[in-house]
Amino acid sequence: MRPAAQTLPAAARPAATASIKRLLAPLAPWALPVFLIALWQAASRAGVLSNRILPEPLAVARAFYDLAASGELWTHLRVSLWRAAAGFGLGTALGLALGLLNGGSRRAAILLDTTVQMVRNIPALALIPLVILWFGIDEAAKLFLLSVGVFFPVYLNTFHGIRSVDAGLVEMARSYGLSGWALYRDVILPGALPSILVGVRFSLGLVWVLLIVAETISAQAGIGYMTMNAREFLQTDVVLVGVLLYALLGKAADLAARGLERRFLRWNPAYR
Amino acid sequence: MHINQTEDNRVSETHARAVRGAHLNLRGLTKRYGGRTVLDAVNLKIEPGEFVAVVGRSGCGKSTLLRAIAGLERPDAGSVNIGGAGAGAGGGAPEVRMMFQDARLLPWKTVLQNVALGLADGLERSRAALASVGLLDRADDWPAALSGGQRQRVALARALVHEPQLLLLDEPLGALDALTRIEMQGLIESLWTARGFTAVLVTHDVQEAVVLADRILLVEQGRLALDLDVSLARPRARGEAAFAALEGKVLARVLDTRQTS
Repeated sequence: MRPAAQTLPAAARPAATASIKRLLAPLAPWALPVFLIALWQAASRAGVLSNRILPEPLAVARAFYDLAASGELWTHLRVSLWRAAAGFGLGTALGLALGLLNGGSRRAAILLDTTVQMVRNIPALALIPLVILWFGIDEAAKLFLLSVGVFFPVYLNTFHGIRSVDAGLVEMARSYGLSGWALYRDVILPGALPSILVGVRFSLGLVWVLLIVAETISAQAGIGYMTMNAREFLQTDVVLVGVLLYALLGKAADLAARGLERRFLRWNPAYR
Repeated sequence: MHINQTEDNRVSETHARAVRGAHLNLRGLTKRYGGRTVLDAVNLKIEPGEFVAVVGRSGCGKSTLLRAIAGLERPDAGSVNIGGAGAGAGGGAPEVRMMFQDARLLPWKTVLQNVALGLADGLERSRAALASVGLLDRADDWPAALSGGQRQRVALARALVHEPQLLLLDEPLGALDALTRIEMQGLIESLWTARGFTAVLVTHDVQEAVVLADRILLVEQGRLALDLDVSLARPRARGEAAFAALEGKVLARVLDTRQTS
């Protein structure tokens, strides 16, 4: 009996550690943030960190809960999300359209590309004074800033993507009778898609940066407004809630972009 | 090789072969790049159903010749005339298809979708074409999952699904390993025998030319320097004395070119 009793746990242990490893593997990227938060909490409790500089994590969590319960958080979140979506949608659509035009037509590229490249070098945020003069301080100004910022990465990557589609594939497709829209749909667009999605992913990151700035200029609602307002009243915990929200939204946008890549580029072994 | 059984049976009935190929007539075909003449007034007549191999050292203009026939290069002078397959042609332009050195499959389409490229409702016919190259079981895979030889077989199926009367092959086996190349040569020969299209094969491999061709052309500085009929019985065994002698003769002629230039 004894040998049997001895071999059983010996055989079970590797299996158990393997399944624990499998469970822990997806958590590994979160180990560092969790550790830092624990350190922060301990430092606050020990009085090393002043409450005015950095409130303890529990206070931030409480502020988050209070804002969520009062519904205030959702109002701001909705307004910010809508702004980001509208700016991203408009900028991406324009960037894609101009990228496709210039990528597909050498004549259009000669006429337009130099101008676009010049304008591209102006940081979107440097336009703020001008934008306020043009549009005032309401939604149109924010929409303009966001879509201008988003436009360039999408345009550049679409243009580059179309230009770098394998000429051999295009020649093959033409010799098999594809032309016009069919050639675009079956060969040029899918060939440019990896590059286009790089632009989209970059824009999704950029849109939050621009949104933060746009919302701190002047706004009546939105996460940026919420944090600026909290600053006036020295509510550091609410400011931190806003910062965390931006981080979470940015991460969610990145996940969405990765999902798009997996969906549309599943033919490519690099994205599987 | 998993060649479809019906295809195999038809191969054995060599004498019953129906010639439905196009004939080809080149007159004074000339192509220049910059100041360099790549094709110098080439005259060539190819009979329907003939298998012609074009050999020559690299840069001699043999690929340009093929691309000009395919209409991918515009000749500077002369004409390319491709005629339909006699009575049954029905007046339409003859189907000409090209197989490239690299398979040129669209990586974002499955194997079956690649074969059906440019066909409005060709999925069934594409399946049949895939079966004839022995790859029906890979129909739903991405091209990235195939080996080099399998990709070329898919490219062959994509060309054949259009039932070409003239098939142009631009060193399609150049990048394959020796064993896969021999398998592919067998496959191309059996499909050619069964379907009766006219074939023009550009190759740098003299043995490949001797295995497959009715006629071997040597291109040298943009001109046809040799036009040799190959009368060996098919299928040709590489070890035979007559085969080896012919291969040696053509090879010597090709190498001779190098010394004089």
